[in-house]
Amino acid sequence: MTTIESINNWFIENFGAITMEKVESWFVYNPDEKLLFNTGLFLGLFLVFYFVYGFLRKTFYLRLTYVILFSLFFYYKSSGIYFLLLLLSSVVDYGLSQIIYKESKDNVKKIYLVISVILNLGLLGYFKYMNFMIGTYNDMFNGNLKFHDIFLPVGISFYTFQSMSYIIEIYREEIKPTKNYIEYLFFVSFFPQLVAGPIVRAKDFLPQIYQKLNLTREDVNNALFLIIGGLIKKTVISNYISVNFVDRVFDTPLSYTSFENLMASYGYAIQIYCDFSGYSDMAIGIALLLGFKLPANFRTPYKSTSITDFWRRWHISLSTWLKDFLYISIGGNRSGSFAGYLFPSLFFFGLLLWGISNYNESVIPLLVAGISILIFCLSFLLSSKRKQTLVTNFNLFTTMLLGGLWHGAGAQFIVWGALHGLALAVHKIFMELFPSKKDQKPNFLWRFFSIVITFHFVVFCWIFFRARDFETALQVINTIGQLTFEPELWKTIVIGYKNVFGLMLFGYVWHFLPETVTNGMKSVFDKTPILVKAIILGFVYWIVYATAVAGSQPFIYFQF
Amino acid sequence: MGTKSYFFKSFAIVALALVAFIGFKQILPDKIFSESKLDSKNVLIDSLLLESVAEDSLALDNDSISEEDRKLNRQKIVYDETGGIEFPSETFENYKGYQYLIHFYEKLYQLEKNPQAKVRIAYYGDSMTDGDLIVQDVRANYQERFGGNGVGFVSITSESAASRGSVKSKYSKNWKAQSYLNVKKPTSPFGVNGHVFFANDHSNPTWVQYEAGLNKYSTSLDNATLFYGKSSKKGSVNFIIGKDTLKKSLLPNNLVNTLKVSSGSIKSFKANFIHADSIPIFGFNFDNGVGVHVDNFSQRGNSGLPISIFDANVMQAFNANLKYDLVILHYGTNVLNYGTKNYSWYEKGMTKAVNKIKESFPGVSILIVSTADKSTKYDLEMKTDSAVVPLMKAQKKYALETESGFVNLYTLMGGDGSMVKWVDEAPAKANKDYTHFNQRGAKAIGKLLYDQLNKGYEEYKILREKRDSGSKQGTVRKSRPDSVSVKSDSL
Repeated sequence: MTTIESINNWFIENFGAITMEKVESWFVYNPDEKLLFNTGLFLGLFLVFYFVYGFLRKTFYLRLTYVILFSLFFYYKSSGIYFLLLLLSSVVDYGLSQIIYKESKDNVKKIYLVISVILNLGLLGYFKYMNFMIGTYNDMFNGNLKFHDIFLPVGISFYTFQSMSYIIEIYREEIKPTKNYIEYLFFVSFFPQLVAGPIVRAKDFLPQIYQKLNLTREDVNNALFLIIGGLIKKTVISNYISVNFVDRVFDTPLSYTSFENLMASYGYAIQIYCDFSGYSDMAIGIALLLGFKLPANFRTPYKSTSITDFWRRWHISLSTWLKDFLYISIGGNRSGSFAGYLFPSLFFFGLLLWGISNYNESVIPLLVAGISILIFCLSFLLSSKRKQTLVTNFNLFTTMLLGGLWHGAGAQFIVWGALHGLALAVHKIFMELFPSKKDQKPNFLWRFFSIVITFHFVVFCWIFFRARDFETALQVINTIGQLTFEPELWKTIVIGYKNVFGLMLFGYVWHFLPETVTNGMKSVFDKTPILVKAIILGFVYWIVYATAVAGSQPFIYFQF
Repeated sequence: MGTKSYFFKSFAIVALALVAFIGFKQILPDKIFSESKLDSKNVLIDSLLLESVAEDSLALDNDSISEEDRKLNRQKIVYDETGGIEFPSETFENYKGYQYLIHFYEKLYQLEKNPQAKVRIAYYGDSMTDGDLIVQDVRANYQERFGGNGVGFVSITSESAASRGSVKSKYSKNWKAQSYLNVKKPTSPFGVNGHVFFANDHSNPTWVQYEAGLNKYSTSLDNATLFYGKSSKKGSVNFIIGKDTLKKSLLPNNLVNTLKVSSGSIKSFKANFIHADSIPIFGFNFDNGVGVHVDNFSQRGNSGLPISIFDANVMQAFNANLKYDLVILHYGTNVLNYGTKNYSWYEKGMTKAVNKIKESFPGVSILIVSTADKSTKYDLEMKTDSAVVPLMKAQKKYALETESGFVNLYTLMGGDGSMVKWVDEAPAKANKDYTHFNQRGAKAIGKLLYDQLNKGYEEYKILREKRDSGSKQGTVRKSRPDSVSVKSDSL
């Protein structure tokens, strides 16, 4: 008796008393507590799920159905009743893809493709951009249309893009459709990447469904290494510095010193990287534990030596998606299209209007607009293949503008995309005018400066991305502009925020570690026995627990 | 062997890790990042607060506190009449103290009758009111109803000048500023704003520049007037308005001297101080002379205790010029973080501060605004800091003891756990530090404050009417039973 009682007491002490209400809360949607990978609840649910999954490894449809049910439950926990939206859109997309595949006439195929694209983008547009469009309309025409009360279903941007890739690839005859709806739903709803990516491509993923499910020791090593790194990046570094420093500065930049604004900008750069790549790593790791290999999503992006390099290392699954389905669709580097010219023209026209309308107060906006247009024009006028570069740059700029808008409905995201688009064009013309010698390795100093400049440009753009609105972004930039050399003040601030700055330093050092060091760490980890791995993982759980701040902050890329 | 069984090894690792985690949880500490004590030298906080906290070492028994509390809450507060007006009695729990605001209410009433009259409010606060947050909303509410134009008294320099939208000010870097926050014995007494400034740079010009903001009722600078103190040496100042420069001399003969920049309203001006190094400068006042004016005297890091070191003579000289009717003391944020829940030391200190206000501004009504809700992390959750309620009660106690009105901001904004809601709701009304309001939240707080004050005023008008009709009936009964003289009474 006493033993049972003492076990019970021990249990209550460590896990809390289990009541009916508590059990209910595990399974019912709660908008305030989303089911993130780094929560204790997910760990518990996953353990039970994974245990059964091991027994089902030799089955096919039973296993697929089992994972689908868990995925839908996972989505229900994040978005409540909107898991029906996921189901509905998957039924429609699956139906359309079947029709496109069976149809032989190209014209008819194209019509169905257009219908599906319009439906998908329409859905995304309604949930994500409706209020932004209403707001813009009201601002421009002094209207007062009412805002809609719209809930943004978690991950809608991710699964819509994933669905679209499936249909477009079928249309382009790059893949064959799945044999039935179950297989398709498995692909779309697969929970590891469902809410925050990586955006898995049908042609990478579908073949894996049909392979015999296999999990090697190496896979598990890779998975655990990714999960451990992801947990530390997301819950320790990112969450801690955002709640305790970065959020506060970006809330009211004018209340903080120049140095704090500068550090908050650096802080946000490492925060968003750790947040996003950490969550991606966890998703890839969890998928790997289930026997599925998802492509890498980040390759230490701040080590990039140019902005072009950056986009090959940052959110790779999105940038390749945009390249394959948007950039190429509007003409790529071969031909111009209406859409390819429309968006950049609209953007520059808007920029010019903004400059003119603010002319009475300050000449700077007009200057900014004029210089941007000049730079963009020079980027193809200076080229030897003028016509082709013009087409390429317009299409690239369109891609970056829309890519920016994908991240969120707001002018600051468009500006962020435009800055990157402009930088890509500038880098291209720079490479053409000053080609690097092929056989010669660039010297260390040149490389160092390239990395520093690229990094600072990216940080500058993040300010627009993070700020609540355009005005706040300008406040941050203005405040940083007033920075003076005051080492005593800096020291005081650093000491005041020593945990935050310590973590930022840790994040950056980790990021810039040479690959040989990380690979060395990995190979040591691989060689340790199972028990030691479990202890290391357990220790990381503890670190996560001990740093957990104010529950789990919602992952910032969720609602994109 | 075989690769298939690796699923269970993989499961075993994840499951064993959970066991290891529970083990670690038993042996390792609860938190990694403990909140280390900051070196107070580097933090903007008032020196009187630090002294009081250091002196206060005794913590009372908790039980006796709650027992006392219960008694206190039931305690009935009955008012003696003031000028024939007696507000209904109330409990300590819901104490508002409208009775003690009668002076202010009567002045508002006079203003309502005669739009040429004026009413002035001094709003003392901490970082919550930085950048004119909350205060500009209280001001706007009053000016909307009772008239009045202008932002009131503005200091020369302020660490929050950049974030203030209701009036834009810029200043040269060579001002020497002393604040009651951390200077006990200033070179020359502090002004009504708790600061004193010196333009003591001989080689470079020392200047300050003001430009009207965009807020309603303060889109111009009306009757801009410089306030400066006493000194043995004279000096001069150049006011630059547009293209004109007005050279004026500073005659520092009295404790508080004023110098008008211009009558009427201007958009902006610059003041260059010349050979004025020994003259204490306080700031500028902007008001159109009628209606309600609210001065924002905010100071980051202030607990409110430094008010007790004001020089009463100087304050009276200020009062002779500005004529305050209500003083609001809005503090608390900076005394929440000292691990103590016994605020008797703060009660004592603030009682002194309130008494100093009474001495400085004879007859003025005083309003104490309590601390707002503030959250701290307990385990994994953000909750109301355990010091909030004890502090709010202490503030209520000294409000009652010093016969001041009281606004319970903590309950007004929703009580327990409300700050978490204000931060988390979309759009957010408070910042991620779970302490300060943003523009939107400040506007809501300003409205809540105004509404409570105004409720008292409406009650006052009813009571006043009753008194008048009552006394009229009385006098009428004595003389003549008819009601011919009714009309003239309200005059």
